[in-house]
Amino acid sequence: MTEDVQRHSVHTLVFRSLKRSHDMFLSNQSLLPPIDEAAEKIRRAVKARDSYGLVFDDVKKMQAMKNLRDTEAGPNPPPPGTGDQETNQAHDMAVVPFTDNSVTNRFQQTQQNQLATMIKKTPTMPKPKWHPPWKLYRVIAGHLGWVRCVAVEPGNEWFATGAADRIIKIWDLASGQLKVSLTGHVSTVRGLAVSARHPYLFSCGEDRQVKCWDLEYNKVIRHYHGHLSAVYSLALHPTIDVLLTAGRDSTARVWDMRTKANIHTLTGHTHTVAKVVAQASEPQVITGSHDTTIRLWDLAAGKSICTLTNHKKSVRDVVLHPTLNMFASGSPDNIKQWKCPDGKFIQNLSGHNAILNCLGVNAEGVLVSGGDNGTLHFWDWRTGYNFQRLQAPVQPGSMDSEAGIFSMVFDNSGSRLITTEADKTIKIYKEDETATEETHPINWKPDILKRRKF
Amino acid sequence: MELSTILPAPVQPVWDRDDERRKRAALKPYMELVSAQAIAPPYGQRRGWVPRNVTDYGDGGAFPEIHVAQYPLEMGRKKNSSSNALAVQLDADGKVKYDVLARQGHSKDKIVYSKLSDLLPVEVVAENDPSLEKPSQEEVEDTTEKTRQALMRLTNSKIAAAMPVRAAEKLGPAQFIRYTPSQQGAAFNSGAKQRIIRLVEAQVDPMEPPRFKINKKIPRGPPSPPAPVLHSPTRRVTVKEQKEWKIPPCISNWKNAKGYTVPLDKRLAADGRGLQQLHINENFAKLAEALYIADRKAREAVETRAQLEKKLAQKEKEAKEEHLRQLAQKARDERAGIKVPGAGHSKNMDDEEQERELLRQDRHKERARERNLARAAPDKRSKLQRERERDISEQVALGMPARGVSSNETQFDSRLFGQAKGLGQGYGDDEAYNVYDKPWRDGGSMANHLYRPNKNIDKEAYGGEELEQAIKTNRFVPDKEFGGTDRSGAARSGPVQFEKEEDPFGLDQFLSQAKRASKRKEPEKRDDRDKKKRRD
Repeated sequence: MTEDVQRHSVHTLVFRSLKRSHDMFLSNQSLLPPIDEAAEKIRRAVKARDSYGLVFDDVKKMQAMKNLRDTEAGPNPPPPGTGDQETNQAHDMAVVPFTDNSVTNRFQQTQQNQLATMIKKTPTMPKPKWHPPWKLYRVIAGHLGWVRCVAVEPGNEWFATGAADRIIKIWDLASGQLKVSLTGHVSTVRGLAVSARHPYLFSCGEDRQVKCWDLEYNKVIRHYHGHLSAVYSLALHPTIDVLLTAGRDSTARVWDMRTKANIHTLTGHTHTVAKVVAQASEPQVITGSHDTTIRLWDLAAGKSICTLTNHKKSVRDVVLHPTLNMFASGSPDNIKQWKCPDGKFIQNLSGHNAILNCLGVNAEGVLVSGGDNGTLHFWDWRTGYNFQRLQAPVQPGSMDSEAGIFSMVFDNSGSRLITTEADKTIKIYKEDETATEETHPINWKPDILKRRKF
Repeated sequence: MELSTILPAPVQPVWDRDDERRKRAALKPYMELVSAQAIAPPYGQRRGWVPRNVTDYGDGGAFPEIHVAQYPLEMGRKKNSSSNALAVQLDADGKVKYDVLARQGHSKDKIVYSKLSDLLPVEVVAENDPSLEKPSQEEVEDTTEKTRQALMRLTNSKIAAAMPVRAAEKLGPAQFIRYTPSQQGAAFNSGAKQRIIRLVEAQVDPMEPPRFKINKKIPRGPPSPPAPVLHSPTRRVTVKEQKEWKIPPCISNWKNAKGYTVPLDKRLAADGRGLQQLHINENFAKLAEALYIADRKAREAVETRAQLEKKLAQKEKEAKEEHLRQLAQKARDERAGIKVPGAGHSKNMDDEEQERELLRQDRHKERARERNLARAAPDKRSKLQRERERDISEQVALGMPARGVSSNETQFDSRLFGQAKGLGQGYGDDEAYNVYDKPWRDGGSMANHLYRPNKNIDKEAYGGEELEQAIKTNRFVPDKEFGGTDRSGAARSGPVQFEKEEDPFGLDQFLSQAKRASKRKEPEKRDDRDKKKRRD
């Protein structure tokens, strides 16, 4: 019996064939075939011999004389006009310089033109950069409640975590040993920051308190009093002695570190401000809020420069790229990337179907998003390609509903990812050293970039 | 050489109107004064000219030949047009700039995205694209410095209000102003043509409290106009999504007032009972085993001892029976007149040996009795014994009831009677001392016990019969009787009676004599004095 082939109309078959060939050749569409070095050499030699066969020997003689002259002259630099010719000849002995240059130039020009036309024609997705996959490498259990925030010290020796058990714990980054427990908050600790220019640790909590700890004495030395409700996030300005806090009273506040004066109250959000970040260049302050907007602020004037309303759901985290002038914001609908000075929309990274609690980026361009259901997605920053998905294993004894990632941070080298979770643990991830591009290939095919709006 | 060149520059700034005028005149190049007046162009050149301002009309009315609504002197113009319509603006391509609507109310430097192209992702650019690079160090430093200055100014003003004490603000130098009044004459200004005014800043009290109430809540200003929404409307929530979002109620492990059913696995997970690894020290097991072994050994020992004792008792009993039988035999034999050969031998037995044997038997009996007692009720016995041997002071301290006496008759606190009489009854009035008017226990019985040697305790020390005798014997009886007395029949009924007797020594007589005697009896007195002296 013959196989039962489903019958299609000729029209369908033709279109299928077209589509397949289109898919096959899309990636190298309108590109020249690769240059075969040997063939090219032969072609040039033939051409040169054909047109300049008469003067070939003279040129050779001239060459020899020039070499002789050079050796006599010693280390004196040749005159500027002759330099490039010489190098060209050194590269390609058989070719007359003039023709060689023109050919290559024309070739390059055509290539450029074709490239330009190609980009204009089909904005395909570029090939994402390969990143090694990440794996869990250490689990630290020590807190007695949800671990809500984490901050790495600038010296990269230790990190601090704050939890719902109202304790800030300081851990050794290399060994994972507990160094110190700081008590003082009367409710969940929600934000931590270590100053790079002072021996201070800053913390904020749901008890409306913002505290400044002196790490030389492990004592609270300042309180920044003024928030009307829980304080959810905290940031330090990298170059000015200014502290930024944001919270449930839908404001962000700017504090003078030394005098504890509330310099600005950044009002404008209509709901809880979930995250505030600060950087040295404009815009110096960025806030993300549960009213689904992101605001960029003019720190000097205390006014909002721009309101980004592209998100459809509450923005729970905003993260700055360590090297590029960009930032990303995470919301349950999408992760969006923005360009910095004016908040221009760059692209969407969609596919993480969970309530996004936190984001992290390192200098290699690995963007990590952590969800409220314990999922971790790893993205390539530039292309938005999702190269790894992880479900963080829960601590034995905790319920499956207690899988949730509350905050994450890369250490200063970018090689360790510290996450804090709802199962009361701190987990540290690192790259898999044994993985190579062959063992973990990128599952990617060139596709026409969809300019999706939302 | 001018005087001003020699003299130092004046410390106090001086302002003089005339000087000022002169200076200005010197500074400015001479200029023609031209009055710039907007006048309607002359007739014939008014094509395309539209009068817009009030000045365009000069002092006149509307231009009838120009067919445009005209409002000379603002006549006829609607004063406050309530329309907030914006003027149409065009961009470089000649298209209407609709984003003006979105920008309305915002400041100039506000970035407002309102176009469709702002929604689209930009084409992916290379990682090292110059537009994505961070601004240079100088730029960053520049912005930092600017921001820092602005913030410092703000901070200083904020702190200054909160500072408890601050230095008085430095006053500016005084200014001198030469002033020429317009009204000249002898009647004005005391006849002076000019005056020099010294202008000094008023001093401010640094400790002065704020003059205005600053604790009032100032109503917030209108919010900034909303930014254009750049996302699609949210999708309608499907039933499935709604179900996903249904969060089960939180149930406590300890309280479940609404009686929710908790799945067993959840209950176990929350309990954490399966997680705890019970680790018991092995010493517990060792101790238990050791105790068990010791107990068994002790039991065995007791059993063997008991068997041994039983055997011994048996043997002894047999021996006694044998002995009795022998005695009976002997007696029978003696009665029958048969000489027993072993009688001499028994007689030969030492008296001492016999005595020892007796003692031994006594001891043995005693031990057996004690053992029996111990076996019968060891705890009771010890308690009984302890209570019997307890000291009276201990008994008092423990409040133990007196044995024997109080057992049959119940004791009452008489003060508890008659409570119905009221408060004054119980203990009597304050003065009355009736709290301890009665002995704690019945006097007779206690007195019998108190300070009397216990028979049983002191038996060994004093010997039972002797003590009894000692108690019974009337010790304070003279062993030599007075002559003529009969103590045996001295049983008296009623009080002792004294009899009047004759003066046996003639003392009365002597005294009466002494009273009557003259003062010659000196030596007696001296004797008295001597006694006194000695006493002193």
